Amino acid sequence: MDMSTFMQGLTTALEPMNLLWIVIGGFLGTIVGMLPGLGPATAVAVLIPVTFGMDPVSALILMAAIYYGAMYGGSRSSILLNTPGDGSAIAATFDGYPMARKGMAGQALAISAVASFIGGLIAVAGFILLAEPLANFALKFGPAEYFLLMLLTLSAIISLSIGRMVKGFIAMLIGLMLSTFGIDTQTGVYRFTFDIPHLSEGIDFLIVIIGIYAVGEVLYNLLTIDKQKKEKKKIGKVWFDKDQWKRSKWPILRSGPIGFIVGVLPGAGGSIASMISYTTEKQISKKSEEFGEGAPEGLAAPESANNSASVGAMIPLLTMGIPGSGTTAVMLGALIMLGIRPGPMLFESDPGLVWTFVNSMFIGNIVLVIINIALVGLLVKILDTPAKVLYPIILLLAFIGTYTLSYSAIDFFLLIIFGYLGLLFKLFDFPIAPLVLAVIVGSDMEQNFRMAVLSSNGSLGVFFQSPISIGLIILTILSLFYPLIMKLIRNRKRKHASEQRKGA
Amino acid sequence: MKAFKIGMPIFLILLSVFFLVGSLRLPKANLGNPYGPLYFPIGVSLLLLIFSIIYFIQELRKLTEDNEAIKELFSGRTPKLIGITILFAIGYSLLFERAGFLLSSIVFLGALLFLINGPKKWITNLVVAVIFSFISWYAFSEMLGVSLP
Amino acid sequence: MKKIILLICILFLAACSNSASGGNDFPTKNVEIVAPASPGGGWDLTARSVQKLLNDNNLVDANINVVNKPGGGGEVGWQYIQSKDAHNLAINSSLLITNNLLGTSDLTHKDFTPLATLATEWQALAVPVDSEFKSLEDLMNQFKKDPKSVKVGVGPALGNDDHLSFVQAVREYDVDPKNVDFLVYEGGGDVVTALLGGHVGVVTTSLSEVKEQHLAGKVRILAISSEERVEGLEDVPTYQEEGLDIVFPHWRGIMGPPDMTEEEIAYWDEKLSEMVKTDQWQEVMKNNDWEGFYKNSSETKKFLEEQTKLYQDLVNDSGLGQ
Repeated sequence: MDMSTFMQGLTTALEPMNLLWIVIGGFLGTIVGMLPGLGPATAVAVLIPVTFGMDPVSALILMAAIYYGAMYGGSRSSILLNTPGDGSAIAATFDGYPMARKGMAGQALAISAVASFIGGLIAVAGFILLAEPLANFALKFGPAEYFLLMLLTLSAIISLSIGRMVKGFIAMLIGLMLSTFGIDTQTGVYRFTFDIPHLSEGIDFLIVIIGIYAVGEVLYNLLTIDKQKKEKKKIGKVWFDKDQWKRSKWPILRSGPIGFIVGVLPGAGGSIASMISYTTEKQISKKSEEFGEGAPEGLAAPESANNSASVGAMIPLLTMGIPGSGTTAVMLGALIMLGIRPGPMLFESDPGLVWTFVNSMFIGNIVLVIINIALVGLLVKILDTPAKVLYPIILLLAFIGTYTLSYSAIDFFLLIIFGYLGLLFKLFDFPIAPLVLAVIVGSDMEQNFRMAVLSSNGSLGVFFQSPISIGLIILTILSLFYPLIMKLIRNRKRKHASEQRKGA
Repeated sequence: MKAFKIGMPIFLILLSVFFLVGSLRLPKANLGNPYGPLYFPIGVSLLLLIFSIIYFIQELRKLTEDNEAIKELFSGRTPKLIGITILFAIGYSLLFERAGFLLSSIVFLGALLFLINGPKKWITNLVVAVIFSFISWYAFSEMLGVSLP
Repeated sequence: MKKIILLICILFLAACSNSASGGNDFPTKNVEIVAPASPGGGWDLTARSVQKLLNDNNLVDANINVVNKPGGGGEVGWQYIQSKDAHNLAINSSLLITNNLLGTSDLTHKDFTPLATLATEWQALAVPVDSEFKSLEDLMNQFKKDPKSVKVGVGPALGNDDHLSFVQAVREYDVDPKNVDFLVYEGGGDVVTALLGGHVGVVTTSLSEVKEQHLAGKVRILAISSEERVEGLEDVPTYQEEGLDIVFPHWRGIMGPPDMTEEEIAYWDEKLSEMVKTDQWQEVMKNNDWEGFYKNSSETKKFLEEQTKLYQDLVNDSGLGQ
């Protein structure tokens, strides 16, 4: 890297106009990201027409700011209302929502903003130092490696349902089943489309998320709505305390790099990154039983990971011109319209643009953490709204959010079905996350498995060929059996200790 | 209530049988391995069937245990509340593209508020329904450029 | 005084008739351009470019909106304009033909009024730069020897132009395309990643996906489906130069609902032909690596008929036929 181009980029990014775009984009992104069902991809897509006719550098800065803003905003609704706006915000419901229920909504929002900020900074630093080697590393991921990565994600999520394994598996299998709906990519065969053209592209996982989380949550709350007294809900402080920080510090620092690396892999992204970092933290934590009950580190880790993943996703886009996620695909389209073609030549042909952009990510994260912390006080007021008014409004927003996905009211019926399924899942104490994650990764998992087998002419040995594959297999086994191994070790230690005591 | 509790595993078993039959009847591929598109759905639905049966047996054993949430479902006006909410949602889905966003949303939100918040607070209900529908229409359609019907 | 009023009236009338482009009462309301895809995709950006250019150059005397109707590979959006009038246009491409041939849609180009073919991209066949195949002939001979020895990357679906242009190429070498192993990736970008990572031996994709990589010396484009060599890639031969009788455009166009009147067709012919002449359109094409491919309504109709015949043939040979 060349220091002068870096500094030049920093000055361009700090130009008042560009700074203004960062603030506007970050703010808009945060707002849009908060709405159920509106994630970064939609946020960037609906704002594309605005960038027409803009200076390319400013357009890129604006789009990136919207993207990060939506990532920050996405977890707001996860924490306050248990309604994630996007796949990458799901893990924030695990401990964020319990925290809010315990009257620590303010602290939760603050921790998540700070965790996102640190995660983002780690990733920007990673971008500056490692963009090219990581882009080359990502190329090593073939179908076999992708399949194993998806497998690791699913096994990580299954390991979260300890104590209700059967239900966890059922939830995951339903999700996998749903992911087969639509055209089979490898052969063009239609599966479970019931002659509805709308279903040929499969079920959008966002409908499943909005249905099961937002609609399901509303229906579930209707059960007790008449009993919810008008007690003033405790909101708690708007800043976290020392103990919470102490618990979150290391998880945040560990999850940043994890998220960054997963984010660089095209097609993986924030959902997988946040899930893997959450389970990692849960498994190595000494207080793992507190995870899911409102452990601050259980919120901080995935928040750090998903934000750094969104920065990581820029690497394949800018270094190779390859979009790794829905959002970056939309950004690529818009950039092409503006006459920029990201790719291997961009760093040489237009270094000013690249380094301005990198610096804008850095500044953007600073701006966003300020916006989001300033918003904490305002956002927790949402909880002051009487539930009987709030829930109908959430329902309406869920419908609008669904409509923006594909502009069709047919999706509403799917939304209702998944809403009802969400209610049943809650009533019968089924874990929801395995289902949603399985819908997100299921189709990629199947297709990559088949591509891997096809490319090795039918041999399953392809899954054990590369060092990356073997690493992933080991991680998968660890994620499933780590809790068991730890238990064994602990038992042995205890035995050992008691024996020693006896001896003494 | 017992019927409802055992209904879930039975529903899951039926669902997996439906998927299994559907998977077996999937068309074969003309390209590559003709059974390529079938393996995964068949495997998944078979596993789903097995786990549903295990779940069924587990539930049979503890059929007499109480489940607070399910008890809640059958108490007071709850079943009616949920049923009508879902009916309203279906009505909204049918109305949405015919009556346009603004009108159908005001009706939907208003109806829900009258149902949940109660007719006594009709002023709040009316105000919230109209103002909120209008704000969301303005925000999405005018500011974000989402083409709403 | 009277004279002045009369003069004003005449001027006013003249102004009116002028703005309504020759006294024609069309358009009478807002014009809608349907992008049968989500915002941000190729069809959406085409629709938005057309909208912007018609607006900026004051070509159409009405508001123009872009409406996204994604689903079913264009089916949902196209079905939507079928029942509308001449104020509702939709972007199309060869999917309009192939969807029907692949049995996924009942619609054909005959169910609409083709208005124009706007531009085209070209197809490219690319291998890694260190590949043993130095020319199209090397590669094709290998396929002839053992069609399964080289894996072909394609995306996002079988039966698209990427896939069918490859089918057309291999069958010229008497290789049965059904015997070739295709790895189908989610999108054009993923296909290129797979090629760079060495997970497939060759990819068939739009030129724009691999052009930068070729210039950067990371992949080698063996052939392009254009008639003449492409500007900026003078070292890459065309299929015809390599001895195959193939010119394969990956075109996109615009169409209206069925039963448009002569006047309405003439109106859009005039406006769209003016639009493609603007400098801005040249720039849009340059940014997207498109080439001028303008055909007016009647030419497009004839073109679509020829294309349907060709695609019918290719789909049958590919093994995807119904």
